[in-house]
Amino acid sequence: MSTAVAGIGATEFSKDSGRSELRLAAEAVLSALTDAGLTPSDVDGLVTFTQDANDEIALARELGIGELTFFSRVPYGGGAACGTVAHAAMAVATGAASVVVCYRAFNERSGRRFGQPNPHLGGDPSSLGLEMSWHVPYGLMTPASWVAMFARRYMHAYGATSEDFGRVAVAMRRHAATNPAAWFYRRPITLADHQSSKWIVEPLHLLDCCQESDGAVALVVTSAERARDLPAPPAVITAAAQGSGPDQMMMTSYYRDDMTGLPEMNTVGRRLWEISGLRPSDIQAAILYDHFTPFVLTQLEELGFCAPGEAKDFIADGGIELDGHLPVNPHGGQLGEAYIHGMNGITEAVRQLRGTAANQLPGPANILVTAGTGVPTSGLILSRA
Amino acid sequence: MRTLEMEVGTVLPELVVPLTPTLIISTALATRDFTPVHHDPEQARAQGSRDIFLNILTTMGLVERFVTDWAGPEALIRGINVKLGVPAYAGDTLTFSGTVAAREDDEYTIEVRGTVSLGAHATGTVRLSL
Amino acid sequence: MTTLHELAERLIAKGEGPREPTREPVNTTMIRHWTQAMGDRNPRYQGLDAVAPPAMLQVWTMDRESPSRGPLDDMLDALTAAGYTGVVATNCEHTYARYLTPGEELTYATRMTELTGPKRTALGEGYFLTWLTTWYAKDEPVGEMTFRLLKFRPREESSPTGKRKPYPLKPAVNRDTAFFWEGASSGELRIQTCGDCGELRHPPGPICPSCRSTERSYVRAAGVGEIYSYVVHHNPPVPGHDTPFVVAVVEIPEGVRIVGNVVDCEPSQVGIGMRVKVTYRRMDDELILPMWAPLES
Repeated sequence: MSTAVAGIGATEFSKDSGRSELRLAAEAVLSALTDAGLTPSDVDGLVTFTQDANDEIALARELGIGELTFFSRVPYGGGAACGTVAHAAMAVATGAASVVVCYRAFNERSGRRFGQPNPHLGGDPSSLGLEMSWHVPYGLMTPASWVAMFARRYMHAYGATSEDFGRVAVAMRRHAATNPAAWFYRRPITLADHQSSKWIVEPLHLLDCCQESDGAVALVVTSAERARDLPAPPAVITAAAQGSGPDQMMMTSYYRDDMTGLPEMNTVGRRLWEISGLRPSDIQAAILYDHFTPFVLTQLEELGFCAPGEAKDFIADGGIELDGHLPVNPHGGQLGEAYIHGMNGITEAVRQLRGTAANQLPGPANILVTAGTGVPTSGLILSRA
Repeated sequence: MRTLEMEVGTVLPELVVPLTPTLIISTALATRDFTPVHHDPEQARAQGSRDIFLNILTTMGLVERFVTDWAGPEALIRGINVKLGVPAYAGDTLTFSGTVAAREDDEYTIEVRGTVSLGAHATGTVRLSL
Repeated sequence: MTTLHELAERLIAKGEGPREPTREPVNTTMIRHWTQAMGDRNPRYQGLDAVAPPAMLQVWTMDRESPSRGPLDDMLDALTAAGYTGVVATNCEHTYARYLTPGEELTYATRMTELTGPKRTALGEGYFLTWLTTWYAKDEPVGEMTFRLLKFRPREESSPTGKRKPYPLKPAVNRDTAFFWEGASSGELRIQTCGDCGELRHPPGPICPSCRSTERSYVRAAGVGEIYSYVVHHNPPVPGHDTPFVVAVVEIPEGVRIVGNVVDCEPSQVGIGMRVKVTYRRMDDELILPMWAPLES
């Protein structure tokens, strides 16, 4: 059975929402249901991230959803984003539920900030705690530092430079500058700004790192057939996939033969092409997870938009900007719009397919969306109905 | 009447205070501060200090003296605001420098900095009126 | 459990404490002691119409037999109990409404005004505690003092008692990984091997991914290697480490990679391909971490 995203919703993106995370979740879900022309009583399934602090049942209570016949959670931080839609689509396709809402809500700037060191990461005798215990005692304990380790090897192997990473940040901020929903609306940066921003973890500058945000996003998934009768133009879920690679760790997969790629994203990409029957040339825009700039280059390579090591040439001269060979993150991504763990990228894909985006591209038919990088991840291809 | 130049930007003459054990101990006692670290070197070292050191009440008193030595007895001190820095140990020298930072009618704000060999011991402002 | 901020809120809400009397009035004897010790020759503080140096404000109430415990003592005790045992004064601000003259009888009262933190400081993590003391002549406020201090958790290097403070970034250790940490404690870099097929593996685990054997052993690595990748951590601050510091993925000739800090050289000297040798660092009474230092040619 074909499935579709029939509604999208979000709160404002801020640095201090002033509201509880549960309230943010409820607001985003209501706004997505309104967009879809549905009500809470139509919902029978909920999916979120394992990291989300709002239980499905708590959200159901707040919204008066009543019965749920499907609920599930996707692990590995931002790697869950597209996975929530994959779970929802599977539930609809198998009949486990008919209307499934995917949501993510947090006060990631005013509440718990993921970029701050958490000394307890390595102390827990779970499998994750033991994995962290090979890294955290050495102070290798922030997402920026985990990614920086890959970035350094990538630079060494392919001759990429900090300026190459900076071009990603400049492009994202240029897109955000004309997106009124973006935190960095009207605040573009130059490559010189990027180069002079302070070190976070060498080789990453501050402007290689995405922002921290408060906010929530929700998506309504139902059958493509039902979506056609609803008011908003549906975004058909052409393909959805999750992936982890051999010898995978949460974010420190340094023990594989090679450290220059993202094998888990390769798995996701391969599955997306197999399921959809499409090729990279059939994609008019990509929403690539951009918590840290270097992995945008790696994703272009793993998804087959360019050969390994060639992303720096692919992105040169505005290659990923609105009029480039592959527009990436027309909303400004997480570097420019907001960090809602990748969920705001999915809503951007839906807007582009509907023709209602702030930086609207000329009639895209297929958009590829990815989730968190460096972690077990997921991806989508969404298409115009 | 005094003819002292007192305009924004005026630099105060330096005050150099040799931090003899006598000065540190006698000022501690004159401010009724009997904490051992201000008069007993052995106790001070046991608590991780290099030697006995100046107490805060004396720092406030020396800041005041630095400004009134220059401004003269007509000056009325309205307030002293000090950020405390490195300790002023016995054997070191405390040197005060200052500048007239602001003036509003007859009220002046003097920026003051007292430094020792380790760095800034006290930085802040003194407000006075004439 | 009451948090420090909850306690602070309660103590701040209490407002100004009771007015405490001073033992004796403003007097020429104490003024003379002060001016002589300070070397202050201001004529205003001498003679029959002498006034008191305004900075003496707090001296009138310095008393070794402190009359009663106040809210500040409760706050300070709570901070000490929470491990913030160090103390250092950071700010002192006096405001004088007027000069005081000998014979005036003063009272004073204190209120706690603010607790901020925890904050990272050069001395260690700590809380800033601020209070306001007001001095009165009868009911007239004649001067006040805002005082701020930092109560901090001292960074542990070597404490006077010889006992080290626990290192904040302890690894989790279980029966699958204990051999490695025991090795580090005795100066050995132990790499897991499969007891059946002999495959080396790091990080270790309970089952050989090649032959699924649960027979495990280890080899002692020679203790040299080459930097495969590395980072220089600058921000944000990390507990137990001074920034900048280097963390590297080191490839060892036995055939596995291992992560550790690179020490005994400047971050700018570190590069991919650099040859390093293992060195063992004691982090606290229980933990020794293997780290890496440049291998001299």
